[in-house]
Amino acid sequence: MASGEHPDSGDCTVDHLHSGMEGAFIPSTVKTCPVHNPDSTRGFQKGINQHNDYVEIPVPESQVNLLPSEWWKTVIAFFYAAFNLVLTTIVITMVHERVPPKESYPPLPDKFFDYIDRVQWAFTVTEINGIVLLTIWLIQLLFFKYRSIVIRRFFFLIGTLYLYRCVTMYVTTLPVPGMHMNCAPKLQGDTQAKLQRVLRLISGGGLSMTNSHLLCGDFLYSGHTVMLTLTYLFIKEYSPRSFWWYHLLCWLLSAVGVVCILVAHEHYTVDVVVAYFITSRLFWWYHTMANLQTLKCSPNNYLTNTWWNPVFTLFERNVQTSVQCSYSWPITWPPSCLKSPCKTYSMVQSTRDE
Amino acid sequence: MKKVEHWSPADVSDWLHKEGMLEYLDDFSNIDGPALLKLNKVDFQKHPLSKVSSDGGEQLLERREALRIATQIEAQKNGHANGHVGGIPNGTSKPQRNGTLEGKDFKGEMIRISMPTMETARSSFPTEWGKTGIAFVYAIICFVTTTIVISVVHERVPSKEHTPPLPDKFFDLFDRVEWAFSICEINGMLLVGLWLIQWLLLKHRSIIGRRFFFIVGTLYLYRCITMYITTLPVPGMHFKCSPKLLGNWEAQMRRIMKMIAGGGLSITGSHTMCGDYLYSGHTVMLTLTFLFIKEYSPKRFWWYHWFCWTLSAVGIFCILLAHDHYTVDVVVAYFITTRLFWWYHTMANQQSLKETSQSNPFSRVWWYRLFQFFEENVHGTVPRSYQLPFSWRTLHWSRSVMYSRLDIQ
Repeated sequence: MASGEHPDSGDCTVDHLHSGMEGAFIPSTVKTCPVHNPDSTRGFQKGINQHNDYVEIPVPESQVNLLPSEWWKTVIAFFYAAFNLVLTTIVITMVHERVPPKESYPPLPDKFFDYIDRVQWAFTVTEINGIVLLTIWLIQLLFFKYRSIVIRRFFFLIGTLYLYRCVTMYVTTLPVPGMHMNCAPKLQGDTQAKLQRVLRLISGGGLSMTNSHLLCGDFLYSGHTVMLTLTYLFIKEYSPRSFWWYHLLCWLLSAVGVVCILVAHEHYTVDVVVAYFITSRLFWWYHTMANLQTLKCSPNNYLTNTWWNPVFTLFERNVQTSVQCSYSWPITWPPSCLKSPCKTYSMVQSTRDE
Repeated sequence: MKKVEHWSPADVSDWLHKEGMLEYLDDFSNIDGPALLKLNKVDFQKHPLSKVSSDGGEQLLERREALRIATQIEAQKNGHANGHVGGIPNGTSKPQRNGTLEGKDFKGEMIRISMPTMETARSSFPTEWGKTGIAFVYAIICFVTTTIVISVVHERVPSKEHTPPLPDKFFDLFDRVEWAFSICEINGMLLVGLWLIQWLLLKHRSIIGRRFFFIVGTLYLYRCITMYITTLPVPGMHFKCSPKLLGNWEAQMRRIMKMIAGGGLSITGSHTMCGDYLYSGHTVMLTLTFLFIKEYSPKRFWWYHWFCWTLSAVGIFCILLAHDHYTVDVVVAYFITTRLFWWYHTMANQQSLKETSQSNPFSRVWWYRLFQFFEENVHGTVPRSYQLPFSWRTLHWSRSVMYSRLDIQ
């Protein structure tokens, strides 16, 4: 994304330049807007004589862009997240084989389950809330100015959280939280069928609504809580502070979604609590490291003791300030270009002495 | 530089030249030092100064203040030296221990050791034992709560026949070793002992003690929550859980007391209760003591750090080897302990993180206010300096030269 110094119709100017290259230089006697030809020296020499056609706009020295886009880093983050999501589905498939049958291993005692009985449609509410929050977040992201940086952060955090989830799911397998859960039969050794399951899970996004999630065992910790919490944290962080009603709405969506997970007896309470804890801590940790420039140079920065610090350094090395909350249209509209071509300025290489 | 009181009008105009305030030259031609010092804003409102001064004399007054302070400092510095030489009139000095002053010649018997000005700079590391006391009480409350919660949870643990141990990857790979848990506890006690000794030798022990108590307390509080909400079954059939005392409050109280007295260790026979699996308190202590030992000991003691690291790692491995905790308990405990420790210390060492602001996401943790209370007067990183816990004033085995300070006016 261009820095703030260039005019907003940045793309527009580029188009204009390209069209102007072949165009002839119009003398000033014609009462139309002068067409600038920046690459032609011939036109430039003529320009010296007819300098009253040129409008001098002082363009400040191009300073170092404090928030460079660097889309290639975002692509790396995307692959990292995709890899971790696929890994999670594979691990879920593996863990499913080891889930103890619910007849011999009844659900563990859980404080929430003691107080509140199961409500059947609650999990659908969770998933709908999750989808709504994710959509809102994507729309917000579309209009955000520095979207490559924010998308990179989102992918990185999602990837890391799901990676942690792989570890905790794999090491110890919790039994199903309720007798209502229907787990698909175990496929001992049938790798092709397992692969099909993995693909089905990925294509359905891991949601029960899409009937892709018939596998059990992925209880500690809850992926649904992670998504709900993380999208809410991102929405709140990268939207104007004055939109309190918007934040409140998203918070309600998120909180109701999380509570409904428990009401539906789909996860143990500890799964949800641990997921919330890890998500919020990781989010705040990452953003503190990224926003406080003093930390980057400080020797007392214990935040660099995490294993993902090198990846963080790669991603955030060139981001020198906290990402400002500014919005712009995702695509520039061509009609606004053609409306008033007089007002577009293109830069002429000015090497003449003033 | 002469003191301003002794300035002549020529000195004043020199000064005006130097400061670039030439507009006053004419009117100040017969103003000398004392008059310069007596100038105030009112004079600048009257004729003739109101005409020449463009800012009501502000700049001049400011510069004059700066000048006054500068000359005072100079005078102080010179005065200390002068005082030794000629400041004491002969015959009126107090009888000195090391002989009398011989006027200007002080090279004979006295040795001049320049002492820094004894103005008590506000210490950046105040020892506020009151706050450490509060942190200690907080930790005690958390420990007692944990014991109560263990006792409560014990009643809800599903019996091992009813709910066998959960499948665990580590348990699949390694069979149980019986004596491993004792190793873990011995390591834990060693590490705690080492940390205690190290803590006693630290200079800023009140601050560091406060931190330790706060972090330990918070970790055990989190542990209460995770233990209470979901009860995991026993990790192995070897467990002997004491019978459940349904509703018998007195017996439960006694059990709690027994556990507190034994420190929750199996070695002391105080830990016969089951259900406190997620997350592992042993891992918390092993990890936390190691982190504190490493943090507050000199960097060059690498062998010491390695030794403690080995104790800690072997201890944690032995927990799993003894099948006394699930792997997820240990992993979660390690994660939470290290994150909390690093988080707290980063916040404590960075001044910018001690303020609540939009750009400080760390301030959103629930314990932030408590943290601010504990660390508000600590400025900067606590240095690793050591000091014996009590001063040994009577240790004079070396006949080194002792210097005592002369009170010289």
